[in-house]
Amino acid sequence: MKNIGLFYSFNTKNTSAAAQIIKSELGEKVEAVNVEEATEDDFKRFSNFILGVPTWWDGELPNYWDEFLPCLEDDSMEGKTFALYGAGDQKGYPDNFVDAIGLMVNFIEARGGNIIGFVPNEGYDFHASKALRNGQFVGLPLDFENQEDMVKSRILNWLKTVINDFQ
Amino acid sequence: MGRNQKFSIKNTPKETLEKWYYLMFLGRKIDEKAPNYLKQALGWSYHAPYAGHDGIQLAIGQVFEKNKDYLFPYYRDMLTALSAGITETEIILNGISKADDPASGGRHMSNHFAKPEWNIENVSSCTGNHTLHAVGVARALKRYGEKAVAISSQGESSVSEGYVYEAITGADREQLPVIFVIQDNGYGISVPKKDQTANRKVIDNFSGYKNLHLIHCNGKDVFDSMNAMDSAKSYVLETGNPVILHANCVRMGSHSNSDAHELYRDEDERNYVKQYDPLAKFRRMLLRYKRFAEDELETIEKKALANLKKAHKKAITSADPSSESIHDFVTPEALVSEQYPEGIHNIKNKEKIKLITALNQTLKDEFRRNPDTYIWGQDMANKEKGGIFNVSKGMQQEFGKERVFNAPIAEDFIVGTANGMSRYNEKLRIVVEGAEFADYFWPAMEQLVESSHEYYRTNGKFVPNITIRLASGGYIGGGLYHSQNIEAVLTTFPGIRVVYPSFADDAAGLLRTSIRSRGITLFLEPKALYNDPKAEAIVPDDFMVPFGKARIRREGEDMTIITYGNTLPMSLEVADILEKEDGVKVEVLDLRSLSPLDTDAIIKSVKKTNKVLVVHEDKVFGGFGGEVAARIASDAFEYLDAPVRRVGAEFTPVGFNRILEKAILPDNQKILEASRELLLY
Repeated sequence: MKNIGLFYSFNTKNTSAAAQIIKSELGEKVEAVNVEEATEDDFKRFSNFILGVPTWWDGELPNYWDEFLPCLEDDSMEGKTFALYGAGDQKGYPDNFVDAIGLMVNFIEARGGNIIGFVPNEGYDFHASKALRNGQFVGLPLDFENQEDMVKSRILNWLKTVINDFQ
Repeated sequence: MGRNQKFSIKNTPKETLEKWYYLMFLGRKIDEKAPNYLKQALGWSYHAPYAGHDGIQLAIGQVFEKNKDYLFPYYRDMLTALSAGITETEIILNGISKADDPASGGRHMSNHFAKPEWNIENVSSCTGNHTLHAVGVARALKRYGEKAVAISSQGESSVSEGYVYEAITGADREQLPVIFVIQDNGYGISVPKKDQTANRKVIDNFSGYKNLHLIHCNGKDVFDSMNAMDSAKSYVLETGNPVILHANCVRMGSHSNSDAHELYRDEDERNYVKQYDPLAKFRRMLLRYKRFAEDELETIEKKALANLKKAHKKAITSADPSSESIHDFVTPEALVSEQYPEGIHNIKNKEKIKLITALNQTLKDEFRRNPDTYIWGQDMANKEKGGIFNVSKGMQQEFGKERVFNAPIAEDFIVGTANGMSRYNEKLRIVVEGAEFADYFWPAMEQLVESSHEYYRTNGKFVPNITIRLASGGYIGGGLYHSQNIEAVLTTFPGIRVVYPSFADDAAGLLRTSIRSRGITLFLEPKALYNDPKAEAIVPDDFMVPFGKARIRREGEDMTIITYGNTLPMSLEVADILEKEDGVKVEVLDLRSLSPLDTDAIIKSVKKTNKVLVVHEDKVFGGFGGEVAARIASDAFEYLDAPVRRVGAEFTPVGFNRILEKAILPDNQKILEASRELLLY
């Protein structure tokens, strides 16, 4: 398996905490890249990705992702594989729970990228999510506000399936 | 972020990016500087900072085409105004309420930016009130085939107002070219949006509307906002259907400088929203994608700061409005007919007609004369039905459905869209049946009050040209909701005229003057007299009655009865009885017009008879007669031989049973008794 690019913002609390668990579990298989400073070349170095994409406000991508994506908007992502995780708040924002995961998946799929790491929506309680597709999330939702005690186990279980799906 | 977007950081021309950055930086500096004017006691006491709305406000202004589209910005729309072309000097002139403020010459509250001569409209402080105006003017854009849009910009909390729903529902039903831009910053002052709407994105409440297209965008992102506004306008122009666009924003500061958001937002949240700063994000992207170098941006910033400094100096030395101007532009000058300057005629060789016939004929005459006349209301036109009392009978058949049409059961919508449509041009004359009965007009009071001060608030730049007809009064066994007289309330508002004719000729003359004149006239019709022979009169062709001219309906020397509406025929009958039975001659003065009021005619009659009885159908307590009596006491006290007495309704609602109605409303007997008591002095 080729190396995995772990793209997230190093200036975050929860998303970084989740990244630490991933790094501990996968060790040298992953290389962390701070998305706030990432370049198109950083992206091109990898064909396997784990992206940390928390949801801001009423269902938006964080600024740092918004600002980075124009680098990639004209590129093909065919042959690249992506697994996404992201923080969301089921109680505070139940209408937009982890929407950012859905937005990012749409961006990737529109450019031919392959998404892995779908998660059943069992154990979550929310109204609507752009990340939900046929009863499954298209990435791993993490709720630090309301289900913090489940965060680690959810990441570890998710990684078990994800790691097998990377090429 | 889809592919092939019209605007992106990589494909937008550099000069466009430079213009945007200049406007955004300049706007932000004014936004930051505004509170200092208040601290230095220079004005700008109301400032609603826009920081956090930068993307969508830039976009609204950029897609707006002056003198073509119509833009209704709300009180937080400073960058919208700048982006639409209002200069930094004009922004400050408005902020510190100077005479040269293009919005209102210092009359309207600060932070309400406008330039009516460009179709950047001056709007109310009532949140979302202008939504109906945007729909109204869009009706004109559609009617006259313009390739233009009306843009109504407002906060998300404004959508809690019922009239906003009336407006959006109307635009959807009539398929009008409107873009409703909802700038959502999560708060209505301190009230979070969870207390306003179940759907966090309030436009989702409209997802079931048939013709309304919903667009969501990130109002903090310049490119997403530009693409959204651009596609909204294209969609409206191509389809003719309305769009509601939701722009997710944040409010980086307090609601205004009289609000302290520290009281209801914790530090985490206040810091969190600052992370979103749209200007900082745009600047980072300009650098990251190498569209500008740091020194280039600094050059733009220096230019903006220099221009702001110049604007400040110019605005601060600009003239203040003068106290002598306070009576300017309250009500526009009305037409006075050369042929009938007093609103009196002596035609005798013609048949008398009923009041209702006179109204119907006059409406038709005016609609034939001016092709830009319109009438709508509830029950206005459906096959043979023409108005709840058939006043507009036959009009739709003659003038078509585009000029004569039904309105929904939404009184505020009826009046608000009349206000909006009349903005299209000065030729338009709009007549509305404000409600089925005057009793149902109360929901429209919000738009009536708003409309009453448009002329004053815009410093004479706009006045709605509307005649609002209302079937008024009782004596029909109508009970509480079909008997009300509301003139006492209506006359308290400067900026609107209130007339209440009784006879067919005065009704025709006042209606013609109302329709031809600029401004708003409340035209109250005594519905009990529509078909009553007592109100019949000969009506000359083209008869006009000027506003503020009373009419002596019966000459006399011993006492004056001052009256109007339903109690005029009663007063005339009582005067006949008094002459016949008591040998006294009573003068009966028909006010016809309550605002403006013919004080001269009143005083003249008092000087002649020295005794005054004021009679009206409305309640004595709080009725319009109180104003008449007070004027007489003030201006003609020395001519009085007796106290001014009043006859009117009891201070109760009007009961439905005829026994109750008779006991409550004035009648001949009550007027006669009061007259005889007064004549004893």
